[in-house]
Amino acid sequence: MSASSADAALARQTQLDDEYARRHDHAVAMGGEVKLARRREQGVLNARERMDRLFDEGSFIESGLFATSAVPADALKSPADGKVAGFGRIHGREAAAVANDFTVMGASSGATNGRKIAHMKRVATQRGMPLIFLGESSGARMPDHMGSRGMGSLLGNDGAQYQRLRETPWASATLGLSYGSSSWYSVMSDFHVMRKGAVLAVSSSLLASLAVKEEVDPQELGGWKLHAEVTGFADMVVDTDEQALLAIRQFLSYLPSHHQEAPPVAPVPEGSGQGMADILKLLPASRTQVYDVRQIIRTVVDRDSFFELKARFGRVGVTGLARLGGQTVGIVANNPLYKGGALDTDACEKITSFIVLCDSFNIPIVMLVDTPGFVIGTEAERRRAPGKIMNFMNALSLVSVPKISLVLRKSYGQAYLNMGGGRNSDEFAGWPTAEISFMDPQFAVKVVHGLEPGSPGFDEAQAQMDRASSVWDIASIYAMQSVVRPQDTREYLIRMLQVHELRMTRGVGKHLMHAWPTSY
Amino acid sequence: MSSSPLLSQVTGSVWEITAQVGQTLAPGDTVMVLESMKMEIPVLCEDGGTLLEILVEKGEAVSEGQPLAVVSA
Repeated sequence: MSASSADAALARQTQLDDEYARRHDHAVAMGGEVKLARRREQGVLNARERMDRLFDEGSFIESGLFATSAVPADALKSPADGKVAGFGRIHGREAAAVANDFTVMGASSGATNGRKIAHMKRVATQRGMPLIFLGESSGARMPDHMGSRGMGSLLGNDGAQYQRLRETPWASATLGLSYGSSSWYSVMSDFHVMRKGAVLAVSSSLLASLAVKEEVDPQELGGWKLHAEVTGFADMVVDTDEQALLAIRQFLSYLPSHHQEAPPVAPVPEGSGQGMADILKLLPASRTQVYDVRQIIRTVVDRDSFFELKARFGRVGVTGLARLGGQTVGIVANNPLYKGGALDTDACEKITSFIVLCDSFNIPIVMLVDTPGFVIGTEAERRRAPGKIMNFMNALSLVSVPKISLVLRKSYGQAYLNMGGGRNSDEFAGWPTAEISFMDPQFAVKVVHGLEPGSPGFDEAQAQMDRASSVWDIASIYAMQSVVRPQDTREYLIRMLQVHELRMTRGVGKHLMHAWPTSY
Repeated sequence: MSSSPLLSQVTGSVWEITAQVGQTLAPGDTVMVLESMKMEIPVLCEDGGTLLEILVEKGEAVSEGQPLAVVSA
């Protein structure tokens, strides 16, 4: 090559590099230093920082860095069109993500960024990797969506846009004001973490105020307390962006990359099971005393592996992911600390959605039972208790992953079936402290004979009603397969999960609920 | 200083009041115990605070959602 042609090649290279650098720098500058500085002052990460913390260091590869608004006049002020997208690794496994950049046109939805989201979804689904949404968006972009031409161009052109078939796990975080599609993707996800101070709602408090002609408080409209305690849309609540991103990484560590593989196996931490010898101390000797079943769960599972979901919603039912001998399991338990463990409609919904999650991603289910039954009364009926109870029951019957049910103390009535009694689990077991019957004998005397404690004939009637409800009787007719000493629980569960491994399908279930609703 | 009521999770009766007005409560402390479904069910102050007022008496019947006490947030 002559000197002059080498110079020309170098000049051309430099020119291309310069243009690339100029465009690159403009794109990564997002909505500009003023807006970014304001976020820093508030202790809030920007979209690109969030991506960096979500993925393993150095593993992020962006998709659509040079995308901008499809409206030519907005091209310069819309770096990445307000939604940063790309792929990266989480604990070494590939995942796809979209992070809303609120500094660019409020991360509003437009034609270009809609294409980006669709591409991420397509790749995640076709290649079998989780999809993550980091939500903070003002909703549909105005005025792009206005008018019938705007609607026709921007909305409704993808009939599967809000379809959820649970082929790969979806995780989401609400990290700021989140309206419209940002909210839709969060509530459709398998895991949704919310940062305190963020808001998830259909539309903004401003629009809500205009619609109802009164001042609407954003936190009341869609703050963390509402979604943690009333709607159950928040699986977890955290204080900072960093904690939210860590929570997503942790959640995904329990799940397979897609529905056609078994969940990953983790090393068993040292010290796992060390509290087993004393586990009975966590169960009060008196049947009228309550306790926090989460202490029992934490003692049984691998050390520090219990990842509770929806801790402040439907608290009488505990749901969470954990590991037993390194294997991912889904734990469903009654918590007598709340309402004595009597299942209410919120708990039914919570357990149902958790069963769907476990079954869709090949996670065996362990149920720990201590419930006097379902909450009954007018309020329960108004809240559609029969429908909720049957949704739960139907979900349990459609489970094709291994399910083991262990009765710690009480199991009464229909709740006996819902919590895996009899053939409603693959293995039905009980501690020697278990008591099983149709209803508390005292209530039965009242129902059948109309007698109260202390009234003449009550004691005789109760003696007749008070048939043995001990675990030995049900075990003697083999309607329960095993009686397990409390201190042997961890060992029993690990061994039984090995027995019930889905050998013929390499750990993959049938996913009969893969298209079930994402909320109820 | 804002305050928030502790609501009854269940329909039942007040079995025992275990905390006193003015007392500082740590997150998870028990304020009173209700009796419902033959069980003794504690009413917990989940986020902690100072107990400002107790709205019920021992033995009183309470319904689900009824305010039982007021705690400073």
